[in-house]
Amino acid sequence: MSQATAHAGRPSRQAQPPGEAMASPGRQARARRVARWVFLVPAVAYVLFAFAIPVVYNLVLSLEQTSPATISHLTAPFAGLSNYTTTLKDPVADSAIVRTFSFTVLSLLFQFIIGFALALLFNLRFPLRKFARSLILVPWLLPLLVTGVIFKFLFQLQAGAVNQVLLDLHLVHQPIGFEVSPGWAYLTVLITNIWIGVPFFTVLLYSALQDVPAELMEAARIDGAGAWQRLTRVTLPIIRPVIEVVFVLGFVFTIKVFDVVIGLTNGGPANSTQLIATWAYNLSFQDFNYGAGAALNTVLLLIALAAAPLYIWLNRDSLRGGSL
Amino acid sequence: MKAAGRRRVLAGCATLAALTALVLLMFPLYAVIVASFETNAQLFGASHYSFFPSQFTVSNYRVVLSQQGSHVTSSLIIALGTAALTLAVAVPAAHALARYRFRVTALLVGALLVGQILPSIVIANSLFLVYHHLHLLNSYPGLIIADASYAIPFGTLVLRAFMLGLPKDVLSAARVDGATEWRAFTRVVLPMSRSAVITVALFAFLNGWGDFIFALTMLNGNTFEPVTLSIYTYIGEFSQNWGEAMALAVFAVLPAAMLLIAAQRYIAAGLTVGSVKG
Repeated sequence: MSQATAHAGRPSRQAQPPGEAMASPGRQARARRVARWVFLVPAVAYVLFAFAIPVVYNLVLSLEQTSPATISHLTAPFAGLSNYTTTLKDPVADSAIVRTFSFTVLSLLFQFIIGFALALLFNLRFPLRKFARSLILVPWLLPLLVTGVIFKFLFQLQAGAVNQVLLDLHLVHQPIGFEVSPGWAYLTVLITNIWIGVPFFTVLLYSALQDVPAELMEAARIDGAGAWQRLTRVTLPIIRPVIEVVFVLGFVFTIKVFDVVIGLTNGGPANSTQLIATWAYNLSFQDFNYGAGAALNTVLLLIALAAAPLYIWLNRDSLRGGSL
Repeated sequence: MKAAGRRRVLAGCATLAALTALVLLMFPLYAVIVASFETNAQLFGASHYSFFPSQFTVSNYRVVLSQQGSHVTSSLIIALGTAALTLAVAVPAAHALARYRFRVTALLVGALLVGQILPSIVIANSLFLVYHHLHLLNSYPGLIIADASYAIPFGTLVLRAFMLGLPKDVLSAARVDGATEWRAFTRVVLPMSRSAVITVALFAFLNGWGDFIFALTMLNGNTFEPVTLSIYTYIGEFSQNWGEAMALAVFAVLPAAMLLIAAQRYIAAGLTVGSVKG
């Protein structure tokens, strides 16, 4: 970067008319063009190294017969589609794929319901409103693994806080084995993930509610619209673009959930809480079968990329050129 | 009179509902802090959970402070490195993409948007083998490059959206005055973008601080280890060492808590700008 700058600032070596200290206009324009590109080079290099190479290499790996012995080489023998056929025939992978979908749908549904309810709540005037609104960000800022571990602690069988509440309220007579029963374990991961995502939904939907014109609500009120009608006929249509963005972002966040599962259940019991990402991790980094992991990663990649056109379309304004 | 009464009832209900929501949202944090002052006998295998324990101990903190200092330092290096790398890449790129027309603008912005939604496990799986080859496993630079994989696209898009909103005539004036591109960038654009730069730096810091998946896949634990990995080891199958794990968890959540108190408006800004207008 400094090279280009120095070049642009240096007087031209060509013969100059007396009194002219600036570089010739042609040279200066070229220096500017170079400088503009220099600003972009780190980002282009990063995109290639951290995004393009891993995606392409993932596809290559998924077609190779990898083993611990092939780690030291960048390539392994070509294996055709065998990684896909064996990995996807495995019932654990199959149920991980189905589970990732149900987990994503249920997470988003409850995150939206709770987040929207809280956004409407914060839109009312009441004491402590600002205080509550700032605290609500906390779950979203914690390291995800730490959140998983905290909830593992809360959902313990013995001396777990959740079981204690259920026992104290006489909702159960025996503590629930959240960690040992597949159904309960799935529910604990789901609840934890909803807890993490609620602040995100709340903050975005709340800021959207701020943009609903007060006069419009007042006009609807004067026309005799009840609270429910104002919500469904005025508020929801106006904030719909934000709802779309929140769901698309929530989708891409949720399908790649990893840390929470590892911290909370480590995929167990008996692989009953494995999601695509955690099972791909297991294949690659526990079984050292990087090709099989890459094959499952391709499935995850396809699901994520399915959301990409929608995500890019929602951000279509940002694809346009610069302002000068 | 009647309307005022109704409004007061409504405000009362709203306060009550908000307090209930806050208790549910905050309880896990309360539980961690309380547990960090308890013994393992109180926490694991005890007959019941006590919401207000009567006995407290600081022994967990004593152990954590004597054993975990290097892990906290590692996490700090990773988080600061991630923030530095993110700014170094994202700020100039955002400036160029906001000010100039490139033939590749749509392509690069599209790549950043796609990069933002790439699952980390895909990147980790490939980069692990690439790093093995480049001898970047178990190194800070390698881990920081991977950790910035969310913050760099996020930061570039947020900063660009912000810079597009800066008044155009200021930059044009700098050009007319003969300032080089670099000087216009450092003297005009950067100072005016201060708040967005802070927002991006904070997010990148928190991303690096909270990273687990790249640390898990790219470090073997023999060289250095961030706090997240250390907590994971604590609760491994054979050692249910809750007291110390919870004391360490308190350290792990400290930066988030401190930033929320000190820089809340930057965080709220990043959340909304990054998602809606990015």
